[in-house]
Parts: sequence; C-alpha cells; structure tokens
Amino acid sequence: MKPGIRIRAGMFLRSLAIQGSWNYRTMIGGGFAFALMPALRAIHGEQPAALRDAIERHRGIFNSHPYLVGVALGAVARLEAEGTDPATIDRFKSAVRGSLGSLGDGLIWAGWRPAWAMVALILLHVGAPWWSAVLAFLVGYNAGHLALRGWGFHIGYHHGLAVAGQLRRAHVADASGVLASVGAVLLGVLLPLVVAAAPPDTQRMLPWLGAAVLACAAGLRWGNQVRTPCVVAIFGAALVTLIGRVLA
Amino acid sequence: MNLWVLAFAGGVAGLDGTSFPQVMLSRPVVAGALMGWLLGIPVEGALLGAVLELFHLGILPIGATPYPEAGTAMVAAVWAYAVSGTTHGAGLLLAIAFALFWERVAGASVVLMRRWNSWILTAGQPPATPAAVESRHLIATGTDFLRAGVLALTGGVIGGAAIAELHPFWPWGGDAAEGVLHVAGVGGAAGALAIFGGWRERWRLVLVGVSVGVLFLAVA
Repeated sequence: MKPGIRIRAGMFLRSLAIQGSWNYRTMIGGGFAFALMPALRAIHGEQPAALRDAIERHRGIFNSHPYLVGVALGAVARLEAEGTDPATIDRFKSAVRGSLGSLGDGLIWAGWRPAWAMVALILLHVGAPWWSAVLAFLVGYNAGHLALRGWGFHIGYHHGLAVAGQLRRAHVADASGVLASVGAVLLGVLLPLVVAAAPPDTQRMLPWLGAAVLACAAGLRWGNQVRTPCVVAIFGAALVTLIGRVLA
Repeated sequence: MNLWVLAFAGGVAGLDGTSFPQVMLSRPVVAGALMGWLLGIPVEGALLGAVLELFHLGILPIGATPYPEAGTAMVAAVWAYAVSGTTHGAGLLLAIAFALFWERVAGASVVLMRRWNSWILTAGQPPATPAAVESRHLIATGTDFLRAGVLALTGGVIGGAAIAELHPFWPWGGDAAEGVLHVAGVGGAAGALAIFGGWRERWRLVLVGVSVGVLFLAVA
C-alpha cells in the first residue's frame, strides 16, 4: 500500500522533530524511524514480522541536515511501498546521508540563517521597531526553511532512487555559493552600522570608534579566531566588577 | 513574573535549538527580544539579543560538534538582567558575560543529553515495535525540554543575583561598559566573514556592502 496524503503529512510533521533523540551512536536514526513510522505502519501494518524488520533497519545509524532529511524520508517511504530490496534501501541511505548533511550545512547554517539574522540586526541598527526585526527574521527565514523541507520531501517521494539527480538539477550546491555572496554583502552593510553605534558620550566616542574599527579589521582578516579574544575581553571586564566586590 | 514562565521559555528555546521545530525561536536576537517582551523590557531584550547574535553569526552547528546553546542562555540572561533592577551599562555588560558563560554550560548539557539519548534508545534492548520507537523518541525529546527549562531557571536565578550584586562595582561609567561590548561585538561579527569564504575571496562584496552601510549612515 502506498502512503496516502494524510500519511505523508504525518511524516512531514514528525520530521520537524527528527533530531529529538539525536545521539552519538545512531545520530538521527531513532528520529528517522519515528518520522517514517506512519508509512511503515501503512505499508507493513498487516505483516508484523515485516514491520519489525523494517523498524530494525531504519532505527540504525543515519544522519542528515534536519531540513533536507525529507529527501531521504520521502524516497525511503516510496521504496518501502514499492517493495524494494532492503539492501538497496540501506545502500541508498548510506549514499545520501553525507551529501544531505553537507548540502544543508552550506545552504542553511552557513547561508540562509546568518543572512536572515543579519537582516534582523540591520533593521535594529537602522532604528526599526524591535518586533519588526524579529518578525522579519522569523517570517523570512521560515518561509525558506519550510519550503525547503516541503520541496525535499516532495522530490524524495516522487523520485525515489533518482532523487540525487533531482538535487543536482535543482542546483542546491550553487545556491549555497549565492547565499555566501549575499551574506558577505549583508555583513558589509551591517559592520558600519554596528561600528557607528558607539556609546553616545561624545568625549569618549573617538577612542571607542577607533577600537571598533580595529576590531572590525581584525575580524575580517582573521575570521572566527577573533571571537575568542573578544569574548575574553567581555569576561575580563566582568571580572573587574568581581574583583571590586571582593576588595570592597 | 512567575519562575515557571522562565523555565517554560527556556525549555521552548532549548528544544527549538536542538530538536523541535528549529524555527529559530532560539536565535539570540529572537529569544532575547521575545523574553524581554514577556518581561516588559522588549527593547533591552532585543539589545542583549542583538549583541549575543553578533557573536553567533559565525558559529556553525555542524554534525556532532559541541557548540554553545545560545537560546537557553539568552532567556536566562534577559531574565537575570530584568530582575537585577539595573539600567546601568554595567548591567548589560554583566548580562552578556553571563550569557556567554551560560551558553557554554548549556552546550555541555547538550553533549550529556546526547549520551543520555543513546541510553534511552537502547536500554533494555527495546523491541522493534512502533510503540517502543515512538515512546523512546518522545521521552528523549521531552527530557531535552526539561533540561533546557532547568538550565534557564537556574541560570536566571544565579545570573540575576550575580548581576544585582556585581554591577555597582563597575569602576567606570556606563558608557565604558557599553564600549567594551560594542568593540567586542564588532570583532565577533566581522569574524563571521570566514563562513562566507573569508576576506581574500569576498573582499569586493564586503566593500559593496560597506558602501551601502556608509551611504545609509550619511543619509540618516
């Protein structure tokens, strides 16, 4: 029996919680079986032994970016419904798990998410109300997030084993490069706005501005290595109050 | 405000960040603003969230890599700032310092949680039945919510007491405290260029953006 629309909708909703039992042994294996369960019930519900066998196979190790896991979920649901050889399904899962992870990391974590976070920060720095910045971030980000999840599930279910070709044709990897470019521009817009947001005391503003420009240049040049000294500077400043409290 | 609200908000932020539904309620700028709104200080909440967000632009939660859990820490830090009763710049500085510390504690708890999940899923060699798979997955998810709630609660209480106790001992003006945050935040944000390809690869695009930003400042 092929999973109907209600079963597929159930799988999609469950896939939102696919990382709920993330662990170092099977990674999202438990979540994958959890999300696939409506389809497995529909396909193997009347054959307890086949259902147990399918659950056993799908609760094993698996990993993917959570937003692209629908590609694998949809494809596996289709393959199970078509009675595909379990060894072929296992090989398919092994083949896609690395690529779905790296595609999603580049596309979402290193592209889409920081881009929308910077949009929110830019809005705050140009004086937009706090709620509009938060709303812009949540609506803009999640429009793409949910569309990606839905699209991934759709192409997975409709193309089965051929889904890798669909991913290539959709130029997902190219989109990561475009988002990285957009991110660089947005960061460029954000930085002068943040630098200019120096403390308002005009007598002290110039040194702070100078220090901020230096910090900016260091960050652009040395990347995330600059994060640690910046955090240490904040901890150091906080430590001053602790020392003051102890000495008082 | 009721401490249950703090625990619930922390639980929601923690769960969103690690497992469900990952709609970014856990991002510092969102969690900070929404927690501030709940506490009647939305602008201060958004400000604290924006500062912490600057440090998080370049952090990638890739694979099994441990990473700081900002959402839970942000909820705790905004609560701590609110209950400390300070409006001084030193209060903001201490709240951010606390958030940067607490997100590490929360991140370490995620690592422990993931080990615990291994045990939940395999303890007693569960049968391969739908009920066993679903119940254990939901127990793991629920435990994650509790973990984040407890962390937000303890963080809010400890952080609030610490900020209230320490902020009068800041030896310089409020502007100096904000200046430290400002400079450190700029450095943290600029460092995020690494995830977009770095300076050598992207300098032209960064300069295009800088031109737009400077143009806006000139017009505004």
